[in-house]
Amino acid sequence: MAASTWHRLMDDRTARAAVGVLGTAALVAVLARWISPYDPTLQPDPVALRLLAPSWQHPFGTDPFSRDVLSRVLHGARVSLGVAVGAMLLSVTLGTALGAVAAVVGGWVDTAVSGLVDVLIAMPRLLVVITLVATFGTLSPWWLVVLIGGSGWLTTARIVRAECRDHLQREYVLAARALGATHWRIVWHHLLPAVAPQVAVTAVLALAAVIPLEAALSFVGLGIQPPLPSWGNILLDGTDYLTSAWWLVVFPLVAVTMTVGAALVLADRLRVAIAGEDRDQ
Amino acid sequence: MNPLLSVEGLHVDAAGARGAAPRPVLRDVSFALQPGATVGLLGASGSGKTSLALAVLGLLPPALTARGRVFFEGLELLAASRGARRLLRGRRLSMVFQEPLTALNPRMRVGAQVAEVARAHGERESRRAMRDAVVMMARVGLAEADVQAYRFPHELSGGERQRVLIAMALLLDPALLIADEPTSALDVTVQAQVLALLRAQQRERGMALLLVSHDLGVIATTCERTLVLHDGSIVEDVPTRQLLAAPEHSQARALVAAVRPVGRSA
Amino acid sequence: MTRRLVARLLHAAAVCAVVATAVFVLLQFAPGDPFAAALDGADVPATVRAEWRARYGLDLPPGERFVRWTGALARGQLGYSASRQRAVSEVMTDALPRTLLLVGVALVLGFAAGVGIALVQTRHRGRWPDRCLGALTLGGVAMPEFLVALLAMTWLGGRWRLFPVGGIGSLGDAAGWPLWERGIDLLWHLALPAGVLALAVASRVARHQRTALLGVLREDYIRTARAKGLAEWDVLWRHALPNAIGPVIALLGLALPSLVGGAVLIERIFGWPGMGLTLFDALLARDYPLVVAAVLLATLLAVAARTITDVIADRVAPRRMQEP
Repeated sequence: MAASTWHRLMDDRTARAAVGVLGTAALVAVLARWISPYDPTLQPDPVALRLLAPSWQHPFGTDPFSRDVLSRVLHGARVSLGVAVGAMLLSVTLGTALGAVAAVVGGWVDTAVSGLVDVLIAMPRLLVVITLVATFGTLSPWWLVVLIGGSGWLTTARIVRAECRDHLQREYVLAARALGATHWRIVWHHLLPAVAPQVAVTAVLALAAVIPLEAALSFVGLGIQPPLPSWGNILLDGTDYLTSAWWLVVFPLVAVTMTVGAALVLADRLRVAIAGEDRDQ
Repeated sequence: MNPLLSVEGLHVDAAGARGAAPRPVLRDVSFALQPGATVGLLGASGSGKTSLALAVLGLLPPALTARGRVFFEGLELLAASRGARRLLRGRRLSMVFQEPLTALNPRMRVGAQVAEVARAHGERESRRAMRDAVVMMARVGLAEADVQAYRFPHELSGGERQRVLIAMALLLDPALLIADEPTSALDVTVQAQVLALLRAQQRERGMALLLVSHDLGVIATTCERTLVLHDGSIVEDVPTRQLLAAPEHSQARALVAAVRPVGRSA
Repeated sequence: MTRRLVARLLHAAAVCAVVATAVFVLLQFAPGDPFAAALDGADVPATVRAEWRARYGLDLPPGERFVRWTGALARGQLGYSASRQRAVSEVMTDALPRTLLLVGVALVLGFAAGVGIALVQTRHRGRWPDRCLGALTLGGVAMPEFLVALLAMTWLGGRWRLFPVGGIGSLGDAAGWPLWERGIDLLWHLALPAGVLALAVASRVARHQRTALLGVLREDYIRTARAKGLAEWDVLWRHALPNAIGPVIALLGLALPSLVGGAVLIERIFGWPGMGLTLFDALLARDYPLVVAAVLLATLLAVAARTITDVIADRVAPRRMQEP
């Protein structure tokens, strides 16, 4: 079943474009250290070279500290996307595990997990993360991954639980149970492959939610701390020069918007591919 | 006498999935209908009969394309503007559909849905439209029409819902009514009542009726003439009596053999 | 209906309990003892210090402290704000209505705009208005709200001076001005922050509503409506929309916590003195009683708004209208 979904997805031109954008972003992030023309923290001449407009030597211009903006955006990709992917993997893994356990084990475990999810989901995530981060002071990117990822497992858990419960009623699972399969085997061999497409959609959506979250945190000074560049704090540096040095804001803005947009489009196309229907009229 | 409806060389094709060739649904269909005539369109499911009805009304789904010529009261429908076709629908040319429950908006009272036909064609006063709707609903046999008009579709029985749809179709006294399997979703006893209603209304108004069905018994009780549609083409176009007596096409013979007349025979 | 309302109230109570507990636990782990640090500030009146000591039982073990603290919260005693030199409840009474105004206006405007955009898109589906609006709504969802806020503030506020760049009023001593002028000034300051939030809401609503409308258009009763000779706009407005709007309202309810979160950020950027800005300032000043109150109230706001949208969704699209 996964193979046909993949083929339908790859047939879809829009989906291909979205995957292309995300793939490029990922590639850029991974190779940032090697493809950056300059060191992003280098301030060669804070007087003469500050706030230069885009040129051949500096395709994205320079910032108020004469740092090359292109290199900063590339390294920012590495940091922002790294944190985002890490947080997304954490939240999806947690959510899938808890959702599957709740569905398979049932009973009081299910009630407890569902109840917890229902209560926690009412809390605004940004609020929670801001409070946590601000209370403990500025954190290393790893802690940021943990906090952001740890706050995002709720919707995944709900979706996985619902999907698992649905699949648990199907004949092949009942048959496996009748044959004496253990909980673990059922989960690993039957349920997880069955819910994988839905989890994939949730994962992409989670990515689309976390990138702006990290950017917002860094923008208000609570996330990634300078001199480590992230798209959020690059934007912060540029706010004072919005009308005079547009390149400081436009490039990170385009980067964030395109990545998030591509993720949203991909999630949408994935859903369509899973359902096996053709596009809307 | 000029035909009311004249179909000439109608082809309907369904778009193929992703690069595949288009699939023909109707091939070179031609026939004519006189004012006041009762004609049955007989065909098995998948023969394209609903598509024929929808093509005349201009309500084909986006996946289907029509070409050819369809003349109604002198106007060539397939080349006409959307606005011109819209003006005909409900007013001169009406259709009754197969599934009465899904054919009605679940969130709108049935009387309002009937009255909407009048309002779509220029009736400004909503109270007058509603009054006309209630009168019409009573004429098609809905008991306590003034009360029923304020009910929702799910509160009515299948037969009552079909009567609502018929009232909707007949409100503005159209010249042609196309009924697509009007009784298939109903109980047998209700079927007879609805068919009798259609016959009575047709006679009373002198309106033309095109009855689409897979059941020759249904057509035999109501239509003087029958078109047999098989795999997208018209294979017989004869008076119904003749079809029942001596069907030529093998498919028609199969359908005649399966007939169980409902109500009076033609 | 009442059963669901009671369930919602219980749910809200449970949320409060969990939030209060979580915050208390959090504060235990915060670097430095928050209450002690706040209390040692020289500008806290001695009476407050003593009262606080007693109420929070700072010399007692954590378990007892928790009990006393939640007891105080339950009685509505939110404590004293050291950074603002006022009772927390006073600060909240000022801040909460401002956030309500911001979120309320943004919700209503955004919802209406989103539905409108979706209707236009559906009417012209597949053609360029649909594609254009679709790209715009995608951009609206993809672009982080703080960026939109930044751009709005700089261009509409700074460059073109159409709107003020921040704050809630430019009239100085408000009491000296007539009510309607104060109202206009308030609205003028509300325009940008509410506008930015409304844009975010509208983009999301438009995307969901478009999908819902396209789904409904495949139903049989739409075909009947067209067969009656109804114009396409009437088909959309009278038949498609009433049947497609229910799920969108419900979805809006689910998205409310993130809307409140977005409002927090917007308040910070525009300097709108609601609960969000209060929370930020309180966090920076390590003013924990204020932090607790702000987090609690913001969460309660999200829960209340969600309940209201549930009620509305139920009125507009009752689930009982099924085939019997």
